[in-house]
Amino acid sequence: MDWWGWVILAVVVLLILITLMVVLQRRRRRGGVIGLGGPGPGLRGSSGRNDRR
Amino acid sequence: MTTPMPALVLRASEVIGRPVVTLSGELVAEVKDVIFERAGGRIAGFTLRNPGLFSRSRKDSLPWAGVHGLGRDAVMVADETVFVATKELAPRKQARKADVLQNRVLTDTGRDLGRVVDVVLHGGTSLEVVGYEVEASETLGTAGQRVLIPLPDTVAVSGEHLIVPAAATEFVSDDLAGFGAAVDAFRSRLREGAS
Repeated sequence: MDWWGWVILAVVVLLILITLMVVLQRRRRRGGVIGLGGPGPGLRGSSGRNDRR
Repeated sequence: MTTPMPALVLRASEVIGRPVVTLSGELVAEVKDVIFERAGGRIAGFTLRNPGLFSRSRKDSLPWAGVHGLGRDAVMVADETVFVATKELAPRKQARKADVLQNRVLTDTGRDLGRVVDVVLHGGTSLEVVGYEVEASETLGTAGQRVLIPLPDTVAVSGEHLIVPAAATEFVSDDLAGFGAAVDAFRSRLREGAS
């Protein structure tokens, strides 16, 4: 492979690495909605119906 | 929270990523996670991240008591002294498995309603979780569409599944603006059923 080929290969690898970094960083920074405080006392006022089909 | 908020209904995704700004105008952080108490559904606070895609992570969080005001474009705080260590607000071990997004919603009679894509908050002087936005399953007859499901006062969360009373399916809505009324009607129904 001549030196142009190596340059192109290096650019492609760089682009892949940058894309990977951006994707991983976005995933790391992604927020959520977190419910804390134990499983809770359970449902109150549930209908109690059985929905057997 | 010091500034009374007009009652509003909004999605948690609208709060996530919102800038945290001090009263002196300094942008100090962004909201990362919304933390709520399962017993009562009240918002306990927010974990934070630094602004910018490649910024370092933060180890502090904003408790609800430290919020001066929550507006459409920013969360206001007096200054950075209101922040607390994240382990006080959301201990890592608990928080890791307690994210409700992407969990499946089941009724207490065993019907799968869909997958959670967002959480609905209702706010005045306090902010609380009042419903889930789910990508509906076939059970609701609107498979694939996004609908809003009201929650009772206590949110039952256990690992991968979120449990709601079966009566919630009668109050499913696709209109955020009118969802507050659906939540009130649903909770009234539960109270009548319990008494």
